[in-house]
Amino acid sequence: MGLVRKKITGQPEQITWERLSADALRALLGDPDPDVRREAALGLEGVEEAVPDLLTRVILETEPNIRDSVLTTVSAYDTEAVAGALAVHLASDDAALRTAAAEALARMPRSMPALLPSLVAAPDHDVRVMTVMVLADLIHPDTGYWLTRVIRDDPHPNVVTAAIDALLPLATAEHAPLLEAAARRFPDDPFLRFTVQAALPGLTGTA
Amino acid sequence: MARAQAVGAGLTDADFTRFAEYFYKRTGIHFASSKRYFVDKRIEACIRQSPYDNFAGWFAALRVNERSGAMHQELINQLTVNETYFLREDYQFDAMLSTVLPNVLRDRGGVARIDGPVKILSLPCSTGEEPYSIALRVLEEWDRIDDVDVEIHGADIDSDVLAKATHASYGDRSLQRVPKPWLHKYFAPIGAGRYQVDEAIRSAVTLHRVNVCDTPAMRVFRDFDVVFCRNVLIYFDELSSRRAAENLYGAMRPGGYLFLGHSESMSRISPIFTPTRLPEGIVYQRPTGAK
Repeated sequence: MGLVRKKITGQPEQITWERLSADALRALLGDPDPDVRREAALGLEGVEEAVPDLLTRVILETEPNIRDSVLTTVSAYDTEAVAGALAVHLASDDAALRTAAAEALARMPRSMPALLPSLVAAPDHDVRVMTVMVLADLIHPDTGYWLTRVIRDDPHPNVVTAAIDALLPLATAEHAPLLEAAARRFPDDPFLRFTVQAALPGLTGTA
Repeated sequence: MARAQAVGAGLTDADFTRFAEYFYKRTGIHFASSKRYFVDKRIEACIRQSPYDNFAGWFAALRVNERSGAMHQELINQLTVNETYFLREDYQFDAMLSTVLPNVLRDRGGVARIDGPVKILSLPCSTGEEPYSIALRVLEEWDRIDDVDVEIHGADIDSDVLAKATHASYGDRSLQRVPKPWLHKYFAPIGAGRYQVDEAIRSAVTLHRVNVCDTPAMRVFRDFDVVFCRNVLIYFDELSSRRAAENLYGAMRPGGYLFLGHSESMSRISPIFTPTRLPEGIVYQRPTGAK
């Protein structure tokens, strides 16, 4: 016993992944073994014709970790078509799915901006809250603009509160009037009022 | 010198953007404009070592000769950061010895029933200080080392550092934290103030060249009980760090432990690991319930 050496020259796996065609990998997305589904999803990196299968798998997949693997591969396709297909899940009743979709969309800075006008105007305020979650993590120069617009215009206090939370890491003293106006718009919402009151001293240097 | 200045002056903002995109697509490593000075200097070094005297010629040749690999590998070697030393951030080695390895033995059925060696991966291993530090700590301080086999692997994207890790000779800076008794016991002086790791340890640590973002290449790693992946994910953008996380997950046994650098957090990268608080800090586990 002690330190031992083992030279890895191959792998003792039942499936020789590198020899599988894209079609075979696509078929394995529905395999009963979650580990096989996961490897298939990751193996389809760069296989554009598999995107529809991956998007379907996002809906069908029951294991959250495997769905995350599928989303890792599919979110590399930062196109409006893929982002649009994922954005549908922001309205899902499945909390894990809508959160996973939001995280994936936050990794798609090229295509997300085109979707934002419709998402911030979605009739369902829960979709708008999820959109703010995307904006909170999206690396894009316009996120500040979009969050400011939501804080100024959105009619639902939960959406506005979420947007204030998301804006705070970027906010400066110039945003103080915006937050004060939001608090005035919803005088009966104690959580929003608390959020603004807690944020203002940090912005105005009176903390 | 005149040539170096000409080279530096030849890298425009547009060149930098093209290069950064190219390098990202091939390695997953993202260089923001804040890294411009660092990248410029390294590219200048690559150009000086090539037959070309400007960025345009060198970059064209790099892309044309991509498959032959030599220029591409030289570029990776220049642009990856390899500063390290023995027993760095060793509170994580404390955690490995006091909590993680006992848990691994317990979860794998105990000493009497353990099936196969305990497997530890250091990625990136750079010039070898980390995997050899693990070996030293395990040999000196784990009370089950006489009962259990331990397999240690190191991996890095940079072939130059792997060559140094294979040779395993180190100077004062790398060895500053190695206790003197360990230095005498496990190293041999080779002159000029340098020491080489004992052959028995060198031969027990297996080294590999791999890019952690490369899913097919990472599939050679399976069933690791402990993975150290410290201070590398911070160099990746969100997409690449997420893919790296997936590949590390695939390399680990369910219940296996992942150590990141002290400034890194998996919760900002991916939800697939379960954070576990140990007395020495946070470690991430591949869930046992999920495949």
